[in-house]
Amino acid sequence: MKQEQFEALYRSRWNEFSEWLKIAKNKKSHEPLPFPISEFPHRYRVLCQDLALARDRQYSAELCEQLNQWVLSGHQLFYQNKSNEKNKILDFIFGGFAELVRQEAKFVVTGLGLFFVPLITLMIVMQFSPDFIYYLMPPDRVRDMESMYSPENRVLGRARQASTDITMFGFYIYNNIKIGFQTFAGGLLFGIGAIFFLLANGIIIGSIAGHLTHVGYITTFYSFVAGHSALELTAIGLCGAAGLKLGFALIAPGQLSRGQALRQAAQQAVRIVYGAGGMLFIAAFIEAFWSSSRIIPPSVKYAVGIALWVLLICYFLFAGRRRGTG
Amino acid sequence: MLDTARAVPTPEGIELTLRLAGPFARAIAWFIDLGIRAGLLILLSFILLALGRAALGVILIAFFLLEWFYPVLCEVYWGGATPGKKAFDLVVLNDNGTPVTWSTSMIRNLLRAVDFLPFLNGFGFISMLLNREFKRLGDIVAGTVVVYRETKRTHFSLPKEMPLPPPISLSLSEQRAIIGFGERIQQLTPQRAGELAELAQPVVGKAQGDAATKRLLQVANFLIGRK
Repeated sequence: MKQEQFEALYRSRWNEFSEWLKIAKNKKSHEPLPFPISEFPHRYRVLCQDLALARDRQYSAELCEQLNQWVLSGHQLFYQNKSNEKNKILDFIFGGFAELVRQEAKFVVTGLGLFFVPLITLMIVMQFSPDFIYYLMPPDRVRDMESMYSPENRVLGRARQASTDITMFGFYIYNNIKIGFQTFAGGLLFGIGAIFFLLANGIIIGSIAGHLTHVGYITTFYSFVAGHSALELTAIGLCGAAGLKLGFALIAPGQLSRGQALRQAAQQAVRIVYGAGGMLFIAAFIEAFWSSSRIIPPSVKYAVGIALWVLLICYFLFAGRRRGTG
Repeated sequence: MLDTARAVPTPEGIELTLRLAGPFARAIAWFIDLGIRAGLLILLSFILLALGRAALGVILIAFFLLEWFYPVLCEVYWGGATPGKKAFDLVVLNDNGTPVTWSTSMIRNLLRAVDFLPFLNGFGFISMLLNREFKRLGDIVAGTVVVYRETKRTHFSLPKEMPLPPPISLSLSEQRAIIGFGERIQQLTPQRAGELAELAQPVVGKAQGDAATKRLLQVANFLIGRK
């Protein structure tokens, strides 16, 4: 069959299809559709057949391009993945995240270990060898830290000249979530970036905590960090775990190719980052509005801090477990 | 087929053709986006600083959102492309041709932190040059690809002439070439069309310039099946 006859034969159904596509894509349009939605799958398959014929018979490039365009639009409408976002978010918060963390327990334990072990080690080292901190940071920074948590301060934490709580909220969001995302992304470099960020952050935080403990600013420092420490520290560890998962997929892809292993790992790892990002957001809120306040007595802050730690551990151990299934 | 075309097999058994976008178009699109983000931030800063002290915190939050979520929101809710990409008619799609979803877009954009190393998207650019489908590291991990969006172009049809059978038998590719000439003739000047038509000497004989063009168009009309 020659191209002209082919076009004459099927032009009407192509026009209907392109008309349908135009109306369907424009959400605000109230025009009637040329054919009902129930007919779309069949018409789409018929159009695919027309494209296959046109290519096989080597009709002109213009015709093949045009058909390809229509088929692509139909393909996108047909196979697009528009799942119910709201339910999925609620499911995630109320148990899905905990389940994911339990599922990736290997990476989570490694990530948390790489973060907390240096942290606690440095805190202990600081008590016995207080000058060690000067290996890690310049004296100016040590003095800055001391001035932030000195008992004479009106506002605890990073008291800048004209800062308000909202300013600090913005700063914590920008700074902490960025650290979390970078730790995750660093995992792509065969896990080395993630390991580096975890170790570095653990060492720095541990040394600062140890130094301030040694100097005696115990009440100010610990009442400040009590509230948000649970969420923030665990979240950094989880971001590292997600990064490690990416790196591990590159190093040991198992039965899959490296690309496939990476894609599969990334789908799960990014969900951990969602949860960690949420935790960091809440931690930033607590740090800005609760932790720095001097109105609340330290004993209340300690109690809330411990309660949050217990709550967090219970969440990750118990939330989302289905009763009755193995 | 050109190697910048990507064939996507579909469940219906055909192959869709996507035209891949190269690193340079994407690089310039990124710069445009950078400018837009900077402009938005400056604008926001002016408005907020005029309003009060709490402004600095909101500006920092805005900076954070612009840095990490601006591309994600554009890709998921604004048709698969940021304004910089739209300027070049680029669009982000999954490997199978469907529009991107939240998790795919988040993966691809969170990994910009690695693509940005060592400076100004060095790793990303190298990855795009080395990868067959011009994917940067974020694209490889998320399974997305950046292609040219099919824009509405005018459909050039063959000008109508009296059909004339060709004096010699033509192979399939030669027939396609002659029909292709006819479809593109509206984009050529008459002198250029004449030059090209004279090349088909076995078909147009000794005709020159416009006469050769007309003869070739007549043959094209015959080949396409017009009566």
